[in-house]
Amino acid sequence: MGSVEEEEVLGEVEAMEAVYGIDFHLLSSFPLLFHLNLFPRTADDSSQQFVEAIIEIRATPKYPKEPPCVDIVDCKGMDEKRRKHLLHHIQTKAHELCPGFMLVALCEEAVEKLSAMNHPDGDCPLCLLPLVPTNQQSETLPFMKLMSCFHCFHSECIIRWWNYLQKSKETDSAKSENYKKVEEGIGNCPVCRKPFHVKDLEHVLDLVGSHSSQVSLDSDKATDEEELLQSEHEIIRRQKFEVIFNLQKENSGLIEPKKDLVILPGMYLPQPAATPSSTSTQESDEQQEKDIPTVISEKHAGETSNPPSSSRHKNFGARRQRPRSDNHSSSTVRNPRKPVQQQWVRRDNNPNSKQ
Amino acid sequence: MTSSSASSRKNLSKIACNRLQKELVEWQVNPPTGFNHKVSDNLQRWVIEVTGAPGTLYTNETYQLQVDFPENYPMEAPQVIFLNPAPMHPHIYSNGHICLDILYDSWSPAMTVSSICISILSMLSSSTVKQRPEDNDRYVRNCRNGRSPKETRWWFHDDKV
Repeated sequence: MGSVEEEEVLGEVEAMEAVYGIDFHLLSSFPLLFHLNLFPRTADDSSQQFVEAIIEIRATPKYPKEPPCVDIVDCKGMDEKRRKHLLHHIQTKAHELCPGFMLVALCEEAVEKLSAMNHPDGDCPLCLLPLVPTNQQSETLPFMKLMSCFHCFHSECIIRWWNYLQKSKETDSAKSENYKKVEEGIGNCPVCRKPFHVKDLEHVLDLVGSHSSQVSLDSDKATDEEELLQSEHEIIRRQKFEVIFNLQKENSGLIEPKKDLVILPGMYLPQPAATPSSTSTQESDEQQEKDIPTVISEKHAGETSNPPSSSRHKNFGARRQRPRSDNHSSSTVRNPRKPVQQQWVRRDNNPNSKQ
Repeated sequence: MTSSSASSRKNLSKIACNRLQKELVEWQVNPPTGFNHKVSDNLQRWVIEVTGAPGTLYTNETYQLQVDFPENYPMEAPQVIFLNPAPMHPHIYSNGHICLDILYDSWSPAMTVSSICISILSMLSSSTVKQRPEDNDRYVRNCRNGRSPKETRWWFHDDKV
């Protein structure tokens, strides 16, 4: 490499540092070798991040007449197939941009590709059903990812497993490794065994058994529903509704929204018996004024008093919905690829959005 | 009949059934190399033929694996044993029990019949001697009343073979 070209490469390194900051790790200047942490463009909202990768770029002595060597050192949320797909794309781009100084352009291309791949992929490792059904008819079940490894599971599946481990721990005198870990509040990812903290699961714990989709896949659906209606969680659910319903009646149809937003398929609130009418008393008007600000403040910015049908789509897309710090270390997510189906209704339904 | 083998007769849960049907379909589309499962109408017990990989001590030898699924599969591991005659291997007892951690303590519900099969074939392939485990006679004597390998407190010898 001539000294002029060396200088050019140094210029490129400076540009890389400027663009990528701490994500850029220079390992060697001559020959040029660096690692770059890649995040999808939506990564500032960690609940919307499903992939990340570290790429290694090594310039050969003939660079820029020859494309640099690219490799993926590490990645999360991608199986072998997707990893190869990403690598192949970057390598092809490197050849396309050759000859020329291309480092920033190439890395931007990699970020672009990774952003396009930023969706959960494949089947739930526990039930083997797709996380995001390609078939429009089938229902998308709530799922979550473990933050330590980005492996995704149906919330219900992983909680069922977790509860099973805990039950086993009680009945069995802690003979296996798994049980000991449960006691310490540490779990291991079923796929890669990376440790995670129980806290990661807390936000989905009450999801278990809250919908029948898992068990109603069989032909004898009628008996399933029969069983479901008699089941414990259904009774609890009805009791919860009863409480909400009574509260609604007291408040002339207005209820305080719950703080945690959990969306469940098949969940719906019974229509309030007494909806606020034009003849409402002075008292209930005051009630309304008092309640509305609460409703607004507890929703995400930009979602204020929209009816659920229009706020449904807000969570996918590029912009952050909430700061990183307020996230759990894992998150319940909805299908980022297509709109959620009609039966999805917010549990904390804003009464104003109802007729 | 011991309690464990009686309990393994318990019908599969609906979740277990769904999951096994998915696995069966996947197996038919994409069976692991070296394995042949004659699909029967018994979802709860699979008998799988395994052929030793080329270039290993077990080349062209065939053995049969019996896989029994518990009611709450995949939370609980299936019981996997070799049917008689079991291959001569430092981790396989003459009664067919297999000393392999993923079948017991290290089981994870993300594993599948297919991934178990691959682990077992890999265990066979990496063997350098055809011999029984050192404690074979003692262990097999203790299991004479039909005890399941899942009741054994295994300690795992090494991870090389």
